[in-house]
Amino acid sequence: MANAYLQIPELRGFERFSQGRRAEDMPQITSRICGVCPVAHHFAATKALDAAFNVEPTSAAKKLRELMYCGYIIYDHILHFYYLGGPDFVVGPDAPPAKRNILGVIEKAGLEIGKEVIKHRAYGQKITGILGGKATHPVCGLPGGVSKGLDKDEVKDIEKMGKSCVEFAKFSLKLFDDIVLKNKDYLDLILSDPYTLKTYNMGLVDKNNKVNFYDGKIRVTDQKGREHIKFDGKDYYKIIDEHVEEWSYIKFTYLKDIGWKGFKDGKDSGIYRVGPLGRLNAAEGMATPLADKEYKRFYETLGGKAVNSTLAFHWARLIELLYATEQAMDLIKDPEITSTKIRNPVGEPGEGIGVVEAARGTLIHHYKLDKNGLIDKANLIVATTNNAGAINMSIRDAAKGVIKKGKVNDGLLNMVEMAFRAYDPCFACATHTLPGGMPLEVDIYDNDRRLYKTIRQNI
Amino acid sequence: MKTIILGVGNPILSDDGVGIHVANQLKQHIHDPDVAIDKALTGGMNLLDLLLGYDKAIIIDAVKTDNGKDGEVKRFPLNSFSTMHSCNPHDVSLTEAIQMAEKLGETRIPKEIIVIGIMMKKLPCEFGENLSEKIAMAVPNAVEMTLNEIRKDN
Repeated sequence: MANAYLQIPELRGFERFSQGRRAEDMPQITSRICGVCPVAHHFAATKALDAAFNVEPTSAAKKLRELMYCGYIIYDHILHFYYLGGPDFVVGPDAPPAKRNILGVIEKAGLEIGKEVIKHRAYGQKITGILGGKATHPVCGLPGGVSKGLDKDEVKDIEKMGKSCVEFAKFSLKLFDDIVLKNKDYLDLILSDPYTLKTYNMGLVDKNNKVNFYDGKIRVTDQKGREHIKFDGKDYYKIIDEHVEEWSYIKFTYLKDIGWKGFKDGKDSGIYRVGPLGRLNAAEGMATPLADKEYKRFYETLGGKAVNSTLAFHWARLIELLYATEQAMDLIKDPEITSTKIRNPVGEPGEGIGVVEAARGTLIHHYKLDKNGLIDKANLIVATTNNAGAINMSIRDAAKGVIKKGKVNDGLLNMVEMAFRAYDPCFACATHTLPGGMPLEVDIYDNDRRLYKTIRQNI
Repeated sequence: MKTIILGVGNPILSDDGVGIHVANQLKQHIHDPDVAIDKALTGGMNLLDLLLGYDKAIIIDAVKTDNGKDGEVKRFPLNSFSTMHSCNPHDVSLTEAIQMAEKLGETRIPKEIIVIGIMMKKLPCEFGENLSEKIAMAVPNAVEMTLNEIRKDN
C-alpha cells in the first residue's frame, strides 16, 4: 500500500450562479447549496451581509442568532454521533454493515435510548425552527439583525427543551466513557499511528480563547497546541491559500506562511484541521463550566495538547454538544432575549466577509456588492475544503495501516472509512441512485500505476 | 384517506430540482382537502418528519440510473430503494429512518409510500435554476402519473 486518495465530484459554478443576484437573497440561496449544514451557510451569509452593508446587528439580535446556532449544533452533533460515527464504536468497527447503523446502536444500547436520541435531535430542530421560521432552511437572517424575536411562551418552550438537552449531552458523554474509553482496545485504536495526524488546527475563539461557534477571531495553533496566529475573519485571504491537484475538484487549503508541502503533516506543512477536534485544539477551553471540565479531562486522558488522534473527533464532538446545550441555557435565561430591538438599519453596500463555525469546521463567505446591492463576486471556503488535505492523509494512513499484502475485505474498508467519517465531511454529492446505498468505488493500482483491482460498494 | 405529495430536490441544482417543478405544477391540478402538496430540499430523518400522520405518501424525485433513459418516468414502491437522496455522509436514508421509527413504536408512518422517479444517467454538478430539455419534457408525464395515482385511490 503506497498511497490512497479520496475523490469527490464537487459542485461547481456557484460564483457565476450568484452573480447579479440581490445580496439579501444569499442567506436563502447558500443554505440550499447542500442539505447538510444550511444553518451555518445561512449565518455565514448573514454575517457577510452585516459587513457588506456596514451595519452592526443589535445586541439582542446577536444573542438570538447564537441561540439558534446552538439548536443547530445540538441536532447536527447528535445525528453524527448516534447515527453516523457512533455505530463504528457502539456496534464495533468490523461488525457487518447491516448491523453497523443506528438500528444496531438501538439493539445494543436499548429502545429507551433510541427514543431519547430521537427526542433530543427533534428538540434541536424545534429550537432552530422557532427562531429561524423554518428548521431546515431558516429565513430569519437579515443584515443588521433578525426578522423575528421571541415571546415569553417561546422562551418557556426553549428553556424546557434546553434543560433536557443538557442532561442528554451529559448522558452521551457517559455513554462514550462506558463504551469507548473504558475499552482498552478502542482507546489503543484512537491513539494508534494510522489514525494520528500532526497538523495545525483552526477554529473561532472568543476573547478568552474559548471555543465559539458564532463569533470571534480565527485562531491557529501548532502541533503542540501553541498559538501560531490569531486573525480577524476579514483577513482570511492573507492567511489561507488554496492548492489545486489534477485528480480532484476540491481545492486544498493551507496556511500561506508555512506553504504547501504536499500531503504531509508536521510543522513544516501548512495543512490544518478544522471541526470539533480542530476547534478544541485551537482554543484554550470551553466557555461553559461542564463542557470546560470535560475539555480538561479530554486532554488529560489523551496525553496533553494538541490531541492529534483523528478518532478523538467523536469525543470532541460530544464535548461541543454539551457546550452548545449549556450556552443555549445561558442565552435563553438572558433578559435581553425577548427584546424587540432586533434590527439596525443598513448602510451603503460594499464588501463583506462572514465567518462561522459549521458543525464540521470553519466556514467563510465573502461577497462584493455593486452600488445597487447586487452580488458582483462571491467566494466561499467551506468546512470540508479546510479539512480536505487532512482527510486525504487520514485515509492514506489508515489504508496503509490496515491493508497488508493487498488483502482487502469489508471490515478493513470500514476501518478506512472510519478515518474520513470522523471528520463528518459534507460532500454535497446529493446522490439518489438505484438500488441505493452510499456509492463508493475503491480503485487499487499496482506500482506501475496499472489498475490492479476495483472494489465497488453500492454502485 | 389523507395523502401527501412531496416534491424532493434542490431548486438551485438544475435537473436535481425536477421534483420541485412537478410539485409546483400539481398545485394547479389538485384541490382536494385530503391531498397535501409540499416541497422538500431534504432527506432521511427530516423527510420522514414531513410524512408522518398521512395514510399515503407520494415522493417525486430525480433518480440516477445506469439502465434507464434520461427523462423516463417510473413508479416504484419505496422499498426498492435502500437509500434515497440523503446518502450524503451526514444523514441516514429514508428507509433507515422509517425502520428505526417503526422499531421505536411510531404509529404515524404512512402505510403506502411510493416514489415517482424521473430517471437521469448523470446528476448535475453545476448550479442552475432551469431544467435541461429532456428532463423538462418529463415534467408533464410525472404530473400525469401522480394524478393517476390519486385518481386510482379515489
